[in-house]
Amino acid sequence: MKIIEVKELTKKYKEHTAVDGISFEVEEGEMFAFLGENGAGKSTTINMLTTILQKTAGTAFICGHELGREDDEIRKANGIVFQNSVLDKKLTVKENLLTRGSYYGLSRKEVMKRLEPFSESFEMKDIWDRKYEKLSGGQRRRVDIMRALINNPKILFLDEPTTGLDPKSRKLVWDYINYLRREYGMTIFLTTHYMEETRDADHVVILDKGRIVTNGTPAELKTRYAHSRLVWYTAKSENAEALITRISRNFVYDADHYSIETDDNLTEFIFENREEIRDYELIKGTMDDVFLNLTGKELA
Amino acid sequence: MKDFIGFTRRNMLIYFKDFLAVLFSLLTSIIFFLLYILFLKGTFVDALTGSMKGLENIVSANDIDMFANGILLSGILGSAIITVPYTCLQTIVKDKEAGVDSDICATPMKRWKIVLSYFTASSICAFIMTSLILTAGLAVLSFMGDPHISAGSVFAAYGTVLLGCVSSTALFMVLMLMFKSSSTSTAFFGILSAAAGFIIGAYIPLSQFSDGVQSFCNLFPACHITSMFRNVLLSGLAEKIDSTIGGLDNGAFISAMKETFSFNAKSFGYSFGNSASVVYICIIALICVAAMTVVYNKTYKRR
Ligand SMILES: Nc1ncnc2c1ncn2[C@@H]1O[C@H](COP(=O)(O)OP(=O)(O)OP(=O)(O)O)[C@@H](O)[C@H]1O
Ligand SMILES: [Mg+2]
Repeated sequence: MKIIEVKELTKKYKEHTAVDGISFEVEEGEMFAFLGENGAGKSTTINMLTTILQKTAGTAFICGHELGREDDEIRKANGIVFQNSVLDKKLTVKENLLTRGSYYGLSRKEVMKRLEPFSESFEMKDIWDRKYEKLSGGQRRRVDIMRALINNPKILFLDEPTTGLDPKSRKLVWDYINYLRREYGMTIFLTTHYMEETRDADHVVILDKGRIVTNGTPAELKTRYAHSRLVWYTAKSENAEALITRISRNFVYDADHYSIETDDNLTEFIFENREEIRDYELIKGTMDDVFLNLTGKELA
Repeated sequence: MKDFIGFTRRNMLIYFKDFLAVLFSLLTSIIFFLLYILFLKGTFVDALTGSMKGLENIVSANDIDMFANGILLSGILGSAIITVPYTCLQTIVKDKEAGVDSDICATPMKRWKIVLSYFTASSICAFIMTSLILTAGLAVLSFMGDPHISAGSVFAAYGTVLLGCVSSTALFMVLMLMFKSSSTSTAFFGILSAAAGFIIGAYIPLSQFSDGVQSFCNLFPACHITSMFRNVLLSGLAEKIDSTIGGLDNGAFISAMKETFSFNAKSFGYSFGNSASVVYICIIALICVAAMTVVYNKTYKRR
């Protein structure tokens, strides 16, 4: 089932068009990643889909409810982790979560029951009574995710959930996200500008200046837009170059190796020339290459 | 209803958990109190004894003292009614700035409930703070002597606090919904807390100013509220002093005192009785609530 269907969604701020007629679909239970640089329009898209911003044009259906008409139904189905924390710094974790629960009409008991299964795996016990402002960045993120789960959402929107975290906390956040997918089959809608984070996504959309440049599974995108690379450690020679040009004209020599890019089957090429090519490395195209090739820009 | 209560509770917690906010919201009252101890009391007592004209031996110095203290308490309450609701309402602007309002807008909670909740929270916070001051003030007054405040007057005093807090919150709410950044609202608070003591005639009785200034100040509900406090807290004492004088001056001294310390709000040549003040305040509050519903639609419109 399609849990999100978006057609020609557009957002204009006065003159500036932040999101420019984007269309995509998200399957229930999948992890959907929005990739783009600063200002690409990622947050604006999320804010429209979560009813915070009004769309300028286009249509969107979330869980079968039409955006702009059945907003309350959509709000009940959404959980959001905002790019910047929106919890109250002076209140404790518990106070924060209980008040947020009440916005959905949940009593204290219901909130506690709802969060019970997560509080163990999210290691919430220690920080439960601490003020939000006293938490570390990683702990805050954890609480933010708990906040988003309070209304038992069908879709979890995460706007750059790991930006600004150290590698260890980043991994933790990813553990939680994967746990939610695995245990609850939750649909995850994620934005990021870390390429490697889209590796496990079912679908990746690359956004540039408010437009979708491409859309597909990470494997598809890599096949389509990233080339494999052969690094061949050998002395520079005419013979070697003659051999290389049989498969690709796109190569350079650097210090002690040739770096060769091609779409052709490198494995076969290496096998056929196993007498000459003895010391080598085969490097698969990465999502970074995809992004670079599509937008001409390197991600941070 | 749970959403409304939960959000109101949150808004109240935000105010009470911020010690500095609580302190700053009482700054005008505190400054007034300090000025009173330093020299204002002297000027008040001088003003009182100055209009006695030969009654000095009849009216006890203690009664005059108590009268001045009552004026002090009215002023403290009057300025708190301006500054506490304002400080509490600043949560609206801070929420807007920090994106907290996005979080609320993404929940099924209705927009009008959000606005009403800010309103309710700040009215309650102001009522709690001002009531605490009133209670402490009454306790101190009775400790110092007999303030001649009847049970009915005590009741009326708390009622006045409530009316003051609600009307003042309504007035500032309109303003706060229009502010875009907390630096603007903080700057305005600086002006407000400096002006509050003057507008309600705490530092210098309003009667010392021209009719125009008086009329202007009495546009503010808080000014009426302060006049009402003076009546509620000091009428008993005034009657007692009057009966001590025993009609020797046909009540001239007491009416002079009431005149000097603005027991009735005066605007454009009209002298408000207390009931007229209540009506005026209610009208202003209603206008503000109406304006609020217009402004909040704009504020929470999803651009
Ligand atoms: N309220 C606003 N008014 C005018 N322009 C805005 C507004 N909000 C965002 N924009 C513009 O819209 C564009 C997209 O912004 P958006 O926040 O969606 O980007 P993003 O992809 O989330 O970037 P980041 O990685 O920095 O979070 C930007 O050029 C931004 O300047
Ligand atoms: Mg963003």
